[in-house]
Amino acid sequence: MTEVWGSIGQLVSDVQSGKKSAQELVELSLSRIKEFNPEYDAIISILEEPARKRAVEIDEKLKKGEKAGRLAGVPFIAKDNFLVFGAETTAASNMLKGFVAPYQSTAIERLESEGAICVAKANLDAFAHGGSTENSDFFITKNPHDKTRVAGGSSGGSAASVALSLAPFALGTDTGGSIRQPASYCGVVGYKPTYGLVSRSGVVAMASSTDCIGVFARRSEDVALVLDIMSGEDTLDSTTIARDSSAYTDLENTVKGKKVGVISEYFGEGLDAQVKASVDSIIEKLKLAGAEIQEVSIPSIDLALAIYYVVVPAELSSNLARHDGQRYNYSAPDFKTLQESYEQSRSQGFGAEAKRRIMMGTHVLSSGYYDAYYKKAQTVRTKLINEFKAAFERVDFLVGPVAPTTAFKIGANEDPVAMYLQDILTVAANLVGIPAVSIPCGFDSNSLPIGFQVMAAQKDDRALLGFSKGVEELLI
Amino acid sequence: MTKVDEKYKVGQYYPTIGIECHVQLKTKTKLFGTASNEARDAEPNTLVDQVCFGMPGALPVLNAEAVRLAAKAAYALGTKPQKFSKFDRKHYFYPDLPKGYQISQYDQPIILDGSITIHLDDNSIKTIHITRAHMEEDAGKSTHPSGADYSLVDLNRAGTPLLEIVSEPEIHNSAEAKAYAKELWLRMKYAGVSDVDLYHGNMRFDVNVSVSKDPNKFGTRSETKNLNSFKSVERAVDYEIKRQIELLEKGQEVVQETRGWLDDKQKTVSQRSKEDAHDYRYFPDPDIPPVVLDDEYLAEIEKDLPIMPDEWREKLQGCELDRQLIETLLEFQVEASTDFLSLLAAEKTTAKTYANWIVNVETPFMREHTGLVFSSESRQKAYVGVNKLVIEGKLSSNGVNSLLIKLFQMEVPCEDVEAVAEELGLIQMNDSGVLEKIVEQVIADNPKPAEDVKGGEMKAIGYLVGQVMKLSQGKANPAEAQKILRAKLGV
Amino acid sequence: MSKLSREQILKLATLSRLRLTDDEIAKYQKDLSSILDYVERLEAADTKGLEPTYQVTGLLNRTREDVVVAQQATPDELLKRVPRTHDRYIKVGRMI
Repeated sequence: MTEVWGSIGQLVSDVQSGKKSAQELVELSLSRIKEFNPEYDAIISILEEPARKRAVEIDEKLKKGEKAGRLAGVPFIAKDNFLVFGAETTAASNMLKGFVAPYQSTAIERLESEGAICVAKANLDAFAHGGSTENSDFFITKNPHDKTRVAGGSSGGSAASVALSLAPFALGTDTGGSIRQPASYCGVVGYKPTYGLVSRSGVVAMASSTDCIGVFARRSEDVALVLDIMSGEDTLDSTTIARDSSAYTDLENTVKGKKVGVISEYFGEGLDAQVKASVDSIIEKLKLAGAEIQEVSIPSIDLALAIYYVVVPAELSSNLARHDGQRYNYSAPDFKTLQESYEQSRSQGFGAEAKRRIMMGTHVLSSGYYDAYYKKAQTVRTKLINEFKAAFERVDFLVGPVAPTTAFKIGANEDPVAMYLQDILTVAANLVGIPAVSIPCGFDSNSLPIGFQVMAAQKDDRALLGFSKGVEELLI
Repeated sequence: MTKVDEKYKVGQYYPTIGIECHVQLKTKTKLFGTASNEARDAEPNTLVDQVCFGMPGALPVLNAEAVRLAAKAAYALGTKPQKFSKFDRKHYFYPDLPKGYQISQYDQPIILDGSITIHLDDNSIKTIHITRAHMEEDAGKSTHPSGADYSLVDLNRAGTPLLEIVSEPEIHNSAEAKAYAKELWLRMKYAGVSDVDLYHGNMRFDVNVSVSKDPNKFGTRSETKNLNSFKSVERAVDYEIKRQIELLEKGQEVVQETRGWLDDKQKTVSQRSKEDAHDYRYFPDPDIPPVVLDDEYLAEIEKDLPIMPDEWREKLQGCELDRQLIETLLEFQVEASTDFLSLLAAEKTTAKTYANWIVNVETPFMREHTGLVFSSESRQKAYVGVNKLVIEGKLSSNGVNSLLIKLFQMEVPCEDVEAVAEELGLIQMNDSGVLEKIVEQVIADNPKPAEDVKGGEMKAIGYLVGQVMKLSQGKANPAEAQKILRAKLGV
Repeated sequence: MSKLSREQILKLATLSRLRLTDDEIAKYQKDLSSILDYVERLEAADTKGLEPTYQVTGLLNRTREDVVVAQQATPDELLKRVPRTHDRYIKVGRMI
């Protein structure tokens, strides 16, 4: 996909020097959205007026010689589960259609205070439940490389936006692979940081113990800059961890001498041959560049999906209890009793996938089932965490494919379990809380992008981004 | 379960009561959000933010002061706080519960295994064990306009920090229930963890009552919720015992249900809704890291622990004050400090006098004049000074009140109480010479009453004393006056 | 086989305040049963001596000072979004 923007660092420098203006960049973004989005349906709403207003403010500041921030003038797109103050935030669900956010997510707040400009909200699977945006209550986002195929999900709109160069970067969330998988399907970089590195305040919650805010961009360097600005403890989110004391932009950028573990469990049955070939070839390139490759087995990975499909529905069923039609939309208009109001609002507002997951979650938390399901799953999670810890004592990074296949045809995965199996290669990183990235590494015979996944130990984001940059350079 | 003592038997039944008490902790902000917790006269839905409203994306952040107060409360409940505790989500749908779940503590609460001594009116005491006490957020307030088909919800109270204290079912009659409620109230007050204003709902009681013919078994219990006075606790317990016995005697069963107390009708009523079975689906809240209190933290709290009611009782009993007065003093908490105690203990004979002044004069006055500052030094000087005048006969009882009130309003401790009394014209006439003359005058002016007295009609002496007071402009010492009258009238 | 009965689905729907059509009940019964079949494999996992991990950060004692801080979402803005109000109250179906 042709690149239109260039690196974010260069954009910032151009705006600083006056070579480009914020208004110019915003207009470029808006015009590209207007031109390309109708074909691909990546965008739910465009924040035209507010974005233009901010661009004017930033240009004026710069004209006066004032500081306008480290991302001054850079437009970006946010997945529509990020609350943007004063803008409609729908989570692609009828439940939140028309809901105007009364406050703003910390991630966006931090980006805006460094001069970045949110121009649009991107499509997703409703409430982030899904891997293709086919569960969006509004429309399906088409893959920029093939309109008959999905862009992936749940952050499909954000991934497609960057692939279509609608903006230089986009924000997404990754609870079980929702940044990495669409990144691999769309051929862009998709980064999921260590859990807790970026505040979840102001992002519609899915599964509280695995939700991560992350970035789509064209290169790791761009991700690093955005991460550097967003990351760090937040007084509004008790699960945020301290960020690295050095800048995330201070990247090591080398693969030589790095110990790289290839996860044997990720190369089993079901992995498409071309995906495997592409990933193998990267591993070979790494070897030639001086990385030390070894096979690593993490047996509990075979249970990761099962853990995920107990823990995540449980937590999301709890997080969605607040959508009851009493304090904000969606509220069913006609009801005779309070219970009817609850039932109708929730039944009409939630889509089928949300209902399925809510009931699954309710079941595994129910009296009589809690110990066997939720508690047991969280205990197997400990086992998985321990195995990853042990692996990272032997290697610096763990690698493998991102998805078992390239982008599938729209409508191909009807059965929920078949759909859920798409997540098999990505959920482990969420359950363990470690950072993971999808780097575009090639195409299949249908010219569909393939992603290469790299994971690092908890809090090793800077090292991971550096290695990721190194991998990118091998692919040039 | 320990066998219920015979003395509790009502008819053929042994009642058992367990009490749950919700105490609002006096923090400035809510348990998990930064909205103000000071809701007393606020307009509805003004002390709210995205956290209180359960907005999408809103996350809880624990209030450090709430933890500290809960930890302090542990000591007031006869134990130490648990070193490890965590928060859990308790799920149910109700309009006053914005997230669709309440953040509470389920299996690892901050307080376990406490005990308190309750004090009954007959001077006996009893130990009641506290099973547990945990932190949780309060729900909003709902009102149900009569005749309307809707209810109204105010979320100002949503998120207020609560400590829920659960007793073992060791209470067996309404007197004990009342004493328990009162003792909890005192302890939370003295620990300084809550304003314990019952009228404003700072403390609410739920009573679980059951009766059984077998003293070794519990019957089916009912839960009567949201009692907000000691009296209603006592009455609700009595009502439930009676109601349940009546049901069982008729051959009917007691239903396990939630009931409410109607104070105007003095009865409990069923509040059973159609959704009886509550599956709360508790699980640890993923948004809130657990709380670990180390020895250093506990030492900090232990360092500043206020004196608790039982210790005060011991000290005050040493002053030979009667039990009723001690309990009244505790209730007023006029000054939970050692200065006050030393004042009382200084001379045992004065303790009762001082206690009476504090309870009956100082406290009511200070309540009406909340801006005044009356230091312990001021009190020391005032009380000692006034008492001296009384002993010297220079002050009548009316005079005491007026003088004290004047002294309460002085900005600095009074060095010369007598001078103030004189200035106010309160010093009683003690000069027998002057007094004699006045008595003589009164006898002369009132021949008939004087004759009556001489003739044995003692009632008339009161009238004559009154006349002496009048003539002396209130300055005469009435006891002295009577003495002289009698002497002169030869009775 | 951990197949869920129709009654169990109805109970779950009630607990979650969802009203399902007969078609939905049948579909969810099938879907949930097959998901539960898949997650059965957790039962056999040996977790002796392990504690559950509820939070991966390992954080403890995350508290804040007891100070009022005005949040971006003001009371008036919040009330604007309430579907039904009466004066400043949230108006809902009759509770008791």
